[in-house]
Amino acid sequence: MDGHDWSLRVRDLVKVFNQKVRANDGITLTVEPGEVYGLLGPNGAGKSTLVKQVIGLLRPDAGTIALGPHNLVADPDAARQLCSYLPQAQMPIASFRTREAIDITGRIRGGEPGPVSRRRDELIEALDIAEWREVMGARLSGGVRRLVGFAMVTVCPGPLVVLDEPTNDVDPLRRRLLWQEVRRLGDAGVAVLLVTHNVMEAEKAVDRLAVIDRGRLVAEGTPSSLKAADRGRLRLQVMLVPRAETPGMPSFVQRHTRVGHNLMTVIAEEEAAHAIGWAQELIGLGIAEEYALGATTLEDVYIRLTGDVAGTGRESPA
Amino acid sequence: MTAASPPIVDLRSGPGYWWHSYRLMVRWELTALRVVLPVAAMVQILAGAGFVLSLGLFFGQVPPRAALFVSTGVLVITLVTIGLVLGPQLIAQQKAEQTYEFLWSLPVPRTTAALAWVTTNLILGLPGMAVALVVALLRYDLDLHVSPAVLPAVLLTLFTGTMIGYAVAHALGNPLLIAAITQLLIFVIIGFSPINFPADQLPGWLAAVHRWLPLAPMADTVRAALTEGVVTNVIRSYLVLGAWAAASVGVTALVLGRRR
Repeated sequence: MDGHDWSLRVRDLVKVFNQKVRANDGITLTVEPGEVYGLLGPNGAGKSTLVKQVIGLLRPDAGTIALGPHNLVADPDAARQLCSYLPQAQMPIASFRTREAIDITGRIRGGEPGPVSRRRDELIEALDIAEWREVMGARLSGGVRRLVGFAMVTVCPGPLVVLDEPTNDVDPLRRRLLWQEVRRLGDAGVAVLLVTHNVMEAEKAVDRLAVIDRGRLVAEGTPSSLKAADRGRLRLQVMLVPRAETPGMPSFVQRHTRVGHNLMTVIAEEEAAHAIGWAQELIGLGIAEEYALGATTLEDVYIRLTGDVAGTGRESPA
Repeated sequence: MTAASPPIVDLRSGPGYWWHSYRLMVRWELTALRVVLPVAAMVQILAGAGFVLSLGLFFGQVPPRAALFVSTGVLVITLVTIGLVLGPQLIAQQKAEQTYEFLWSLPVPRTTAALAWVTTNLILGLPGMAVALVVALLRYDLDLHVSPAVLPAVLLTLFTGTMIGYAVAHALGNPLLIAAITQLLIFVIIGFSPINFPADQLPGWLAAVHRWLPLAPMADTVRAALTEGVVTNVIRSYLVLGAWAAASVGVTALVLGRRR
């Protein structure tokens, strides 16, 4: 863009609350311009705390945050100007029409009226929300309001866009449109920091991702590199009968997690036949209702790393 | 489909940036309040006129001095209730709905957000004040002497009331606590402050306390600008009020500048 390194550079970031809770415990990561970088982790892992330090709302206890030539810890005003932030909570636009809400944030972010209106119309079109163009926020559904919020923060983006759970409440069709727009932000040279606990979506949307657990970065890489450790393994998912006790695990089950009636196990590919036989046996005994065998996903990696099952909260890992 | 706009990487600063941000924040506030704005302005007008007229309903023949006191005091009440009561409640609501952080992540100088709020209060409060004054003139045939000091008196009163409310709301974390304090404030303003009546009507200790609180000096400065021979030592009132204005600005700057 102008010769500076416009990557987001977070180094050894520590944030302690009430002198004992280490919400961020030495986090180091880099988000390159043009990259969509996912931040995954269970509730309370420290994702939002990290983000709020980046955008200048919280002060770190140690470590550095840099973007371009700017030190964001020392200069929170620069952080606010350079980072566009979509918070997890809803936007305060109850009495703003969709068009007005996008316009005014674009102008506040320093956009000129002409380009802001053009980009606003493109986003309204691209996110398929034209029918709510003149509707006030109070009368919008949660999902549409979310999309308007996304358009507000990206109509005139800074070099870093931070999106905290952008697809919450959004219908499946428009989710895909939103991910396309996130991709376009990357193509325009924006660094995108995406906070989510929706592992399946993140797998498709991000270039790289980090898994955060208990304030520490426990894994980082591309989705396929993170799955590499599980290569040659399969996931066997068994739906247990309600209130059934967890059956004893055969020796070929490498790890297992139970959430509700859902028993998820990881096995070696060679053991597929044994695994199917075992699952059918469980059904025969009336313990299980059905099963599914498939490739391991990023979710299995995520469960292994955090013991959390796709945002349902922390389960005790096997 | 065209690509997204390339990111803006240049930092803005200086008076042009400030003025641009201020205008947009005023627009933000007025749009955010567009549903309640007409109602709030109407309440201010009715409350102001109601105060003035109810005195006459109660006493029939109102002594001129009492009419003068109440009519000028009501102006102060219409000026400060929005800033002291409605303002903190709106911020409490933002905190409860968790929209507070988005608003404070907007790339504008903090002073523009604060002054945009003062401006909004001015727009909300002035019609009520003007109507109350006209009603009072029509009803009581007041002996008013309007001096140019009315401008600084009204602006300083409005600014101080708004900023005190702003400081309280930003400094306190709990939305319910903010709501409770503002309820208490309205009670104190209307019932126990020498705004609508002379301070010597109060018990000595309470009158002494009010010499150092902002409400009586607000009433004194506005009244002094509209009357002759009613208020003595208005300079002191300006000084006390100025000190409160400075303190509330200081507290707000401290709270907003502080990152946890």
